[in-house]
Amino acid sequence: MQETALIVSYIVIAYMLFSSLSYLGLFALAFRKVKRETKLDKRESTEDFLRNQSTYPVSILVPAYNEEVGVVSTVRSLLALEYPEKEIIVIDDGSKDDTSLRMIEEFKMTKIPFAVRMHIETAEIESIYQSSIFPYIRLIKKANGGKADALNAGINLSSFPYFCAIDGDSILENDGLLKTMKPIIESDGQIIVTGGSVRIANGSTISRSKVEVIGLPRSPVVLMQIVEYFRAFLIGRLALSHLNILLIVSGAFGVFNKERVIQAGGYNKNTVGEDMELVVRLHRLLREEKSKQRIEYIPDPVCWTEAPDSLGVLKSQRIRWQRGLFETLWTHRKMMLNPKYGSIGLFSMPYFLFVELLGAVFEFIGYFIIFGGFFFALVDPQVAGVMFLVTVFYGSLISALAVLLEELTLHKYPNVSHLVKLYFWALTEAFWYRPLMVLWRVQGIFAAFRKKAHWGDMKRKGIST
Amino acid sequence: MNLFFFWMLSLSLFIGQLVLLGILAWRKQRTNRKESSVDRQYDDLTDAFSSYMIDQGDRRFLQQLDASPDKQTVLERLLNHYVAVTKTGPTSDEITALAEQYLAQRYAKLLKQRNWAMRMNTLYFIEDFRMASLIPQLKEKLHKHSKLDQETQQLIRTLASLNEPVAIAALAKFPEAPARLYIDVFKRLDELTKLDELDAALDASASPALKHAAISYIGMAGIMLFLPRIEKELENEDPEMRIQALKALLHLQYMNDPGSLTPFFSSDSWQERMFASQIAGALQLSRYKERLSELLGDSVWWVRYSAAEALTQFSDGDILLSHLSTNHPDRYARDMANQWKTSLSGSEQ
Repeated sequence: MQETALIVSYIVIAYMLFSSLSYLGLFALAFRKVKRETKLDKRESTEDFLRNQSTYPVSILVPAYNEEVGVVSTVRSLLALEYPEKEIIVIDDGSKDDTSLRMIEEFKMTKIPFAVRMHIETAEIESIYQSSIFPYIRLIKKANGGKADALNAGINLSSFPYFCAIDGDSILENDGLLKTMKPIIESDGQIIVTGGSVRIANGSTISRSKVEVIGLPRSPVVLMQIVEYFRAFLIGRLALSHLNILLIVSGAFGVFNKERVIQAGGYNKNTVGEDMELVVRLHRLLREEKSKQRIEYIPDPVCWTEAPDSLGVLKSQRIRWQRGLFETLWTHRKMMLNPKYGSIGLFSMPYFLFVELLGAVFEFIGYFIIFGGFFFALVDPQVAGVMFLVTVFYGSLISALAVLLEELTLHKYPNVSHLVKLYFWALTEAFWYRPLMVLWRVQGIFAAFRKKAHWGDMKRKGIST
Repeated sequence: MNLFFFWMLSLSLFIGQLVLLGILAWRKQRTNRKESSVDRQYDDLTDAFSSYMIDQGDRRFLQQLDASPDKQTVLERLLNHYVAVTKTGPTSDEITALAEQYLAQRYAKLLKQRNWAMRMNTLYFIEDFRMASLIPQLKEKLHKHSKLDQETQQLIRTLASLNEPVAIAALAKFPEAPARLYIDVFKRLDELTKLDELDAALDASASPALKHAAISYIGMAGIMLFLPRIEKELENEDPEMRIQALKALLHLQYMNDPGSLTPFFSSDSWQERMFASQIAGALQLSRYKERLSELLGDSVWWVRYSAAEALTQFSDGDILLSHLSTNHPDRYARDMANQWKTSLSGSEQ
């Protein structure tokens, strides 16, 4: 028994060290690009597109389910977006609250007949409204079918070649769409998807649907999520994008080439991780066609979203994410270690399987061994001690490093106190936040076996004042 | 498995991080202090700058600027803000004069910097402030670049904004240059140079990429002078060239010979059918109403959409669409007519 525990301990230690080092390796890859662009005057580099008739028009899709609190401020922030040509389509996916009513009243909407092209089958569309103040704002009222179905309905109604999917509780920075479209325009359409960094808005001052002052929240749960987002976006996604093997574009915000998405069959209604699943399917399509088109991520924080501040909501969110990851990897298991899919099959899929999905299982075992070692002589306390240190290294120290790397490259939080506060909270990660995440992520794997697509059930407070 | 080794590993990462945290905190504090000092100087100089831009005889601004500890940074911001606000207006000679006097030397140095972002920013500012004294250095730089990366593209744009036709000649070196870049160059050249370059670009011997871009630009900019040559391109054998010509005519909103549009309503290319419909609507060419009614049942959604939109442009369009929404033999055509008779599709432009 003790021998088995010892072998498992060595495997877990080796795994966690490998993961930590792979994070560092990935960041080293991305560092040059982020650092290179840090001092670039973003305003100057995008202003030309504002007056340029060759800037592609974009349809902005806002899927909404019970978003009566946030939907109007989200649409208002979209109205303020600097972009030459856009349309905004809100898709009310059978909300039980007054999401549609708020839209209809606020934007003086009237029912219109519309010849919708059915590129993708969706649940029944009940009615379509158009604003009489801003005719480019439309609302689709449809039967409930889940977020993926809502987005598919938006794709069907949209008129433009690119669409931007944004969550109903998110706020996009004024130049966010320009920044995100820039790589697509500059590559002459060779880039088919771009995602930008999503930041947590809790604690920042948002008024008139605009982030006025960037600040930190008081709640440790939200603070830790900020740190976690740094780690995920700055370390993980940037490097994977650099290698053209990024499998995730945040569901909260991304820009897509509509034709490619339709070719791929639209969003998958049978998974809760529809955002990741679509990106994997697009990669698959590109590899099968041997296309040179690619998917890119930009490090600029362009979208602000509301993070859950209660453990209960956070738990269900994380279970859903993990379940989505599992379902995507399972759906596309054919790509795993398959040389036909190049670096996606040989590197990215195994990375997501072993680091992002099974990492939770390894860590979970690690916690058992630490407790077992210290309290029940399951393994030599020395081994348990090593395991403890590796856990701290993997959790707290890597996260604290992510905070420092953010400051080194993007430095978006304005005060020294912000930096210090985030750093020291990051150091506490291994002692409370990470074990909770590990537990929920393991639960998420089990939840994948109980299939039913649904929306996240976070109760919105609204992030704009 | 050595506990000591892991202690040392964790401890060294922690201590390393603390040192880095200290450095970053110090750097942040210093940057914040500098930033607020620059902001203060900017605020102090704003009024004097505005007065100076109205009346150059008011020398208070120059005296205050000379006394400012961060004069180059502050002046750069003032000029940049002014240019951003007056972007669509004529370029101010005074902006150029101030930039040449205070910033030219700095920019000459910055263009040689190792930092890519700083070089790019400098190129943007040289363009905004129209600093002709740096042309020789920019040309030399362009000569050295062999790859059409972001920096080369901006170099070409900056040179074009300084009215250097060499920008177009340089593009010939890069067969993969996008039409967007050619258009950016045309847009920046001054009127006379632009007309000469467009005239040359429409020549049969010009490269197809250059010619496409020229036709596209003529449409966007509404340069009627080239209308006959654009109409001639409708007979071009290259389908892409014909589409560009149709697009340009749509923008120009005029045709000497609307009859030349007829074959496009039955073209095999849906893009040609779509543009023909759009032109017929925009120019209110009544003779094509019947063709538009037929195209309302086209197999391609965009053609149906454009045909319906075109019908709305006619004075009796609502009656026509109302009639077609019930009597057109094609179901999709009826749907499209129904949509357009009640609402105009919106997009923010």
